[in-house]
Amino acid sequence: MVVIQALPKDHETVRTATVEMEEAVVSIENFSLWYDLFQALHNVSIAFARNQVTALIGASGCGKSTLLRSVNRMNDLVPSVRVEGTVMYEHVNLYDPAIDPVEVRRRIGMVFQKPNPFPKSIYENVAFGPRLNGYRGDLDALVERSLRGAALWDEVKDILHQSGLALSGGQQQRLCIARAMATEPDVILMDEPTSALDPIATNRIEELINKIKEDYTVIIVTHNMQQAGRVSDRTAFMHLGVLVEEGPTDQIFTNPIHLMTERYITGHFG
Amino acid sequence: MSISTPGEVGSRVSKDRPSLLNNEERAQLAARKRNGKFFLFLTVVPVILAVLLILTLFGSVLLQAVSWQVVEPRNSGQTFSLREARTWEGVVRLELLAQGRTTQDIEALLSDSEELRKFKARNRVELMFRANGEPLRWVVTNIRDDVEEVYSLIERWDRERDSLTELAEGQNYYLNPWMDFSFLLRNNSGRPTVAGLSSALVGTLWVIGLVILLSLPVGVGTAIYLEEYAPDNRFTRLLEVNLRNLAGVPSIVYGILGLYVFVRTAGFGPSVIAAACTLSLLILPVVVIAAREAIRAVPGSLREASYGLGATKWQTVSRVVLPNAATGIVTGVILAVARAIGETAPLLMVGGAGFVNKVPDSPLSNYSVIPTQIYSWINAPQKAFDNVASAGIVSLLGVLILLYVLANILRRRYEKKW
Repeated sequence: MVVIQALPKDHETVRTATVEMEEAVVSIENFSLWYDLFQALHNVSIAFARNQVTALIGASGCGKSTLLRSVNRMNDLVPSVRVEGTVMYEHVNLYDPAIDPVEVRRRIGMVFQKPNPFPKSIYENVAFGPRLNGYRGDLDALVERSLRGAALWDEVKDILHQSGLALSGGQQQRLCIARAMATEPDVILMDEPTSALDPIATNRIEELINKIKEDYTVIIVTHNMQQAGRVSDRTAFMHLGVLVEEGPTDQIFTNPIHLMTERYITGHFG
Repeated sequence: MSISTPGEVGSRVSKDRPSLLNNEERAQLAARKRNGKFFLFLTVVPVILAVLLILTLFGSVLLQAVSWQVVEPRNSGQTFSLREARTWEGVVRLELLAQGRTTQDIEALLSDSEELRKFKARNRVELMFRANGEPLRWVVTNIRDDVEEVYSLIERWDRERDSLTELAEGQNYYLNPWMDFSFLLRNNSGRPTVAGLSSALVGTLWVIGLVILLSLPVGVGTAIYLEEYAPDNRFTRLLEVNLRNLAGVPSIVYGILGLYVFVRTAGFGPSVIAAACTLSLLILPVVVIAAREAIRAVPGSLREASYGLGATKWQTVSRVVLPNAATGIVTGVILAVARAIGETAPLLMVGGAGFVNKVPDSPLSNYSVIPTQIYSWINAPQKAFDNVASAGIVSLLGVLILLYVLANILRRRYEKKW
């Protein structure tokens, strides 16, 4: 039996091949977060490189989803949340008091764990985001572009005005990705996007992630280590609110430096 | 399967059935099942009782809405077959002819709206189920007709022939359907034979309409505020507790409140708007509670999706939460309004008069509603008003059924929009 070592809260993150400042789209610096008195994130610093997929891995409750939701300020919806530190996006601190969370979420889209299309037609689902801002361009073209981007167009082009809820789980999740793309964000956050899907649907989402990274920066939380290995360029391992180690995915999976990372990767806990 | 041999005759078959249980366990299982049957019985009996009671209620009301009458007519005293006259006007022509009026005279009356209105106020033209032994004949009942006797339908069910022979010279014998088509269109009257529901029916429609207009926006607004915007502090909690308590306050208390606030202080007088305001207050707690439940039932994942796409709070509420809560809100409002329709006590307080024979035409008109009208009919001295009241009850139930049908149609329409 392996005894899990306690990790000091002031643990210095082990970094390999760090992301250069110029490459970084989003960089989190010395970020801590509390729910009431419970500290969920301890002084996390990490940069996410442009047009790369970064996977956040770690055991349940390690704070990876909290970290992800901090990037587009979804945590603001939870009352009693308090943060310290900065999240820089294009040289702007997203937690600057002058920044409205609503504008943050227009630039940084999100896909959730369970497919959550609105109970509206497929078209209306994709058009929802653009309409919020009174989109003036060609909405039909934007919807088509977004659905093509999410590799769903061919399946739904004849049923655009049927309910989004009538699609299969995997199609619904791709619809949610198309919906996120329609607001034309730079960054797409994915919170365990395939945990509710079967292996075939999962496979298609993974292919899609590999494809969309040409245009977007993707941050993905996953429980599935094979998935992290397949889709991500960089991986960050978290444990109990602390960022233990981050680096290129190959490096993390084949030659982890920190003992805790190695144990997690090899399945000794988590 | 075990096979019983002749030697085992007399042993209980159940013991030979294949079983996974020993005898003791089998007995326990049987006891458990008996227990279940007993409680099933306990739950089914009240249901059966309730159904029987409802059937009795409907039956007695419907029976009362039909009765045999012996009438001393004050007009021509003739009845007309369906072949003789097909329309209301045709019957009026025949009746006036029978009264000895000239054709010119009749045409003049029919073309003069004021004369026609007077004629309608004094005469009820209706198909009676049986008139002097014949089925379905037009009868013109005059306001001055004397009703000599009234028998219930059952009382004289199989004695029509006897009844007819007992009639004195010139008397007519009808099976009167009190709840006929013109009942809803006739005005109220001091005479039961020509009394109608139109002013109370229109009064009820006015009041319901205004109640919906007033309570829907206020109720839904309050629910949205409490559910989405209100901070979780002591004041909000106090508000919530009081809201639930208000839903249980007796309606007569709202009547007194309405009397002081709307009738006297606001100066509305005994008018439609005062009644609508009072009833809106009465149902607001129920509307708010129902709307809050509906809003709370909208999945959090949809809100997250909306926020995640950069929606503001109000955009999320108006484009995601409300459309998805609409079904529940509509159902709650309709149920609350159905309660308001049947309310009598508070309306007696705020001036829902029993006798109004003018159809309300503005929110400040005097009014009567169906329940107060029924109440005043039942209190009237003439026995025949009991039958009119029964017809009123049938109409009230009809309005309620229409409302439920409307609720179902609305619900389906919203559900189709996903």
